[in-house]
Amino acid sequence: MQGFALYPFDPPGDVAALRGELRGWLAANQPTGDIVARANCWASFDPDFSRALGGAGYIGMTLPSRYGGGDRHPLERYVVIEELLAAGAPVGAHWIADRQTGPLILRYGSEEQRQRYLPGIARGELYACIGLSEPGAGSDLAAVRTAARETADGWRINGQKIWTTGAHLSHIMLALVRTEEGSERNAGLSQLLIDLDTPGITIRPIIDMAGRHDFNEVFFDDVLVPHGALVGERGQGWKQVTAELGLERSGPERYLSSHALLVALIDAAGPDPAPPVAALIGELSAELWTLRQLSMSTAAKLAAGEDPMVEASVVKELGNAFEQDMPRRVQAIVDCPWDDASDLGRLLRALLIASPSFSLRGGTREVIRGIIARGLGLR
Amino acid sequence: MSAAREMLCDTARAAFAEAATAGMTPVEEAGFALLLVPEGEGGFGGDWGDVNAVLQIAGAMVPDLPIAARIAPEGLQAAATISLMAGAMGAALALSIEHVNTRQQFGRPLGKFQAVQQSLAVMACEVRAVEAAAAALAARLDVVGRDPVAADFEIAAAKLRANRAVGVVTSIAHQVHGAIGFTREYALNRVTIPLMRWRGEHGNDAHWAARLGRQVAGLGGQGLWAAMTERSDKNRML
Ligand SMILES: Cc1cc2nc3c(=O)[nH]c(=O)nc-3n(C[C@H](O)[C@H](O)[C@H](O)COP(=O)(O)OP(=O)(O)OC[C@H]3O[C@@H](n4cnc5c(N)ncnc54)[C@H](O)[C@@H]3O)c2cc1C
Repeated sequence: MQGFALYPFDPPGDVAALRGELRGWLAANQPTGDIVARANCWASFDPDFSRALGGAGYIGMTLPSRYGGGDRHPLERYVVIEELLAAGAPVGAHWIADRQTGPLILRYGSEEQRQRYLPGIARGELYACIGLSEPGAGSDLAAVRTAARETADGWRINGQKIWTTGAHLSHIMLALVRTEEGSERNAGLSQLLIDLDTPGITIRPIIDMAGRHDFNEVFFDDVLVPHGALVGERGQGWKQVTAELGLERSGPERYLSSHALLVALIDAAGPDPAPPVAALIGELSAELWTLRQLSMSTAAKLAAGEDPMVEASVVKELGNAFEQDMPRRVQAIVDCPWDDASDLGRLLRALLIASPSFSLRGGTREVIRGIIARGLGLR
Repeated sequence: MSAAREMLCDTARAAFAEAATAGMTPVEEAGFALLLVPEGEGGFGGDWGDVNAVLQIAGAMVPDLPIAARIAPEGLQAAATISLMAGAMGAALALSIEHVNTRQQFGRPLGKFQAVQQSLAVMACEVRAVEAAAAALAARLDVVGRDPVAADFEIAAAKLRANRAVGVVTSIAHQVHGAIGFTREYALNRVTIPLMRWRGEHGNDAHWAARLGRQVAGLGGQGLWAAMTERSDKNRML
């Protein structure tokens, strides 16, 4: 990672107009009910909102129009998603399908898979979950053991996934499974696209420390899926997943999860804040501005067809630290009882509790730092 | 980077290498004082992107020479200092990587130990953040005709971010170097001492945090995002 070039963020067309249209749409369509849903909003599931958003053309934007997509540039999509996140819109239901499953199906999937799944994704009606982690395979993803054996009728799957966000609300899972018997580590893995209503699949909730049911255990007991469920090449699962993680790690959601709290802090502080509050707002704003520059540059590099693995990791590392530290720093400065009923108080409590997950999901801090270190030439 | 800027950087590297022992004369002779002077007036006609590139090299190679003062106007010394800081931090990172890949303990290079790797990853993130801040500020300054008032948000944010990186970068760089980094002879202190100095010059953390905080408070919660995006969208259009 020698020398860092800032890639110019230069989407085609009138960006300000695109932003303006979306803001107008949000003003009319964003649910105004619970302010807490604006915190960590890409975990807020709201299928009605997702359908409306898809109907307005803001999901699957980069997919080709023959699959129901918008034929838009990836940086136009970036503008839309950063606006949605900054506004705290409940984008959780379609988030994973739009961010990674759709693009992966387009890139590696068969024509049949594309026609079958992409239009529903773009309409904001078809949701996906990520089947990577297993009880014995967390940071060490290559330890995946869930097995799929090829039979005359299709793939027969046995095993278990865990921490699967939204499995109970999703239609499909893109799972990393071992297709070659006796294979080890990152060899012999493949990706299967599994319809979650297939017999033999059991989804059990895991309640998180915030009391929410977001993630799940998913059990596969002699589950038979068609041959056509294989995505891409048999045995190339590791390579494909690495590309998927690139999409998963580089976006603005890696630094905007606590943005609603910053908005509430500034509003509560008023135009003439006490000096310690002003200083905190200044520090958080400086970090936000810097992270946005890094994130936009990384998106531009990705859009230029290059692999920003290390840059994406830098955004995730710094962004997670920012969104995770923010509630702690706010609590240290602002006097606010634990059960405070103000917007600020409720967002603060919700984010203090949610934030430990920010540096775990999508690859832990230590794993991300390891990727950066490799980029520095240290391993 | 454009070919013209590439050439400019080569010239800077050559002049600063000489200047390291000879002082400002080679810098004057190479005409760096004319970097921002328009071509029509006999200058180089450079933009702030050029200044950023040249000052990063200065920050790495000759951090003690008053090169920023020669190139940049008084009102943009804070902005100039950010570029110097980015350059010096890049140099501290490069020295640290080189050191941990060479120095052996317990039978292997230090860089093979995970604790050392993780420290350097943290440091690299800070350096990338400051480089990005310097580059984004340069883009803004070039859009607004180098008017420090029109780039007030970006100058405050970038200087504050750079200041905050100094503690992390200097402490990790020295930690992974061990005692050798604490000697006068070894090159590390030639960039870490200037970094410590620059943090307090042209506005320390408290100065910029208070100023930016009051500006943002005036914008309001939604207004911060609206202002940030409007400013960067405009960077593209002009
Ligand atoms: C909110 C949330 C949502 C998630 N959603 C999904 C999902 O939808 N799909 C999915 O597949 N997974 C999901 N995950 C799982 C997530 O990817 C894993 O939690 C993560 O990869 C870490 O694995 P683990 O929890 O088993 O921790 P472990 O791997 O056991 O790690 C525990 C700690 O040890 C550290 N550690 C591990 N190995 C090393 C090493 N070699 N060197 C140094 N330190 C090490 C880790 O960094 C971590 O700090 C989700 C997790 C969370 C918290």
